[in-house]
Amino acid sequence: MKVRLHIKGKNLWRLCTLIVLCIVLSCCYLKIASVDQPATAVVGSNVNITVNVVNSCNSSGTAHFVFGMLTPVGWNMAQNAKITYASSKGNGNMVLIPSTVIAPNSNGVNWTTYMMNFFGLAGNLIADVQWTAYESDVPINYNNGDQITGTVNITFNNIGADGSPTLVKLAYVVANDQNGFTYDGFDNDSSPTSEYYNELITPCFQLTGGNGDLVDFCNPQLTTVNPPKSLDNDIVTLTYNNNVTPTALAGASAVYLCATATLNDGSKVTVCKPSATTMLTQTTATSGIYQLTFWPTKFFGLTSGQSIVSMTYFITDVTGTTQVGYGGGTAPFTYTFKCT
Amino acid sequence: MDYHFIGKKRPFLIIMLLALMWTSCKIEQVAPVPESNKDLTGTWKILYATRNGTNLIPLFDLSQFSITFNGSAGTYTLNNPVPFIELVNGKYSLDNPKYPFSITFTATGGQPVPTAFNYPIIDGSRQIIMTFSPGCPQNTYVFTLTRSN
Repeated sequence: MKVRLHIKGKNLWRLCTLIVLCIVLSCCYLKIASVDQPATAVVGSNVNITVNVVNSCNSSGTAHFVFGMLTPVGWNMAQNAKITYASSKGNGNMVLIPSTVIAPNSNGVNWTTYMMNFFGLAGNLIADVQWTAYESDVPINYNNGDQITGTVNITFNNIGADGSPTLVKLAYVVANDQNGFTYDGFDNDSSPTSEYYNELITPCFQLTGGNGDLVDFCNPQLTTVNPPKSLDNDIVTLTYNNNVTPTALAGASAVYLCATATLNDGSKVTVCKPSATTMLTQTTATSGIYQLTFWPTKFFGLTSGQSIVSMTYFITDVTGTTQVGYGGGTAPFTYTFKCT
Repeated sequence: MDYHFIGKKRPFLIIMLLALMWTSCKIEQVAPVPESNKDLTGTWKILYATRNGTNLIPLFDLSQFSITFNGSAGTYTLNNPVPFIELVNGKYSLDNPKYPFSITFTATGGQPVPTAFNYPIIDGSRQIIMTFSPGCPQNTYVFTLTRSN
């Protein structure tokens, strides 16, 4: 016998379910079709970048369009970039999302933190890049079946504001302010993607010129300094990675720092004697990665009023005679103590 | 019953009643336990230290560092200095001696430097947690100090 369920207020429940479903499915799928950006640029120049976006909606609703871009911290994108959008739903400006705005589905963090938590460094090797988050100045209305196309037009003024020639993977993210970085899980429907967001990482972009040290986010480096931006009164960790390229120091159990500091008064101080204070310790027995954490002020024996402007250095063996410099060659590594 | 008597004394009774009402309520004197002043006096050593969230303890020898506070004189003395809020000795003060949220170090001959300050009781003993940037402002160090015995 067929049992019929009698639910009290059945129609009301049906209506509620329909409303909830409408809210859940009230979405547009976003995809970055392509990015038009130059392969190289000169420090201090103005660079135009166009991000082409396609948008496919399976219901009607309203949302702000969200855009994020990953750039080196020293470029100060929030101050130096101007962004507009043009789309089949209208044109306007992209405005910075205040850091006090909590992103949806982000566990209570703001948009830039959400982007860093979700997309990370986008393949860059130095943690000195940041996401900058923008949204459309007005909410965009969309209807079921809409196929919206648009462009995000970025004018980057004074690119490379920190004056450093740079190699970096620029990355782009599109989303909306209702769904955050979520997806519906259906890959085989008519939508271009199952995600309500999309990320595109571009090949290594090269910035030439400038008077700073080369900052290479793209390729593994023999040595890295952490924090990437520091002063002589920071506690600095120098890491030497012997696996990047074959060097004369292969297989050493410990290597040593041989460094010359240039001070604010123009004088130079050299510390180049293999000892406990200059030794880089291997992180594990055969890792080939060696670290020394030091306080530059004390390491170079500075007196009151002195400060370090920059440092050149080699990595040596225990005798000090075998020296490895930049790229494994004979020129020293360089590091400039600065904050921007 | 002699209603006449009550009628004659009515004004008196009303005054008596009002007087009773007036005196029946009194403000209760609550005597809260006063919060004690936070006394930092003693020598403090580093228990935990982070740089931008990275644990510094296995990377850098901070074990020789200590700071001695003298509460009555309001002075501090650094031993084996490391990058810290100040590198030379001087005076200190709390923004509020009972509920401090900030500590200000004034090195001898230097400017006052206020720093975020936390003074929790953990495992039955006080700790001092200080957040500061001795180098670049974007590099944040958090030192947790405990009294050395």
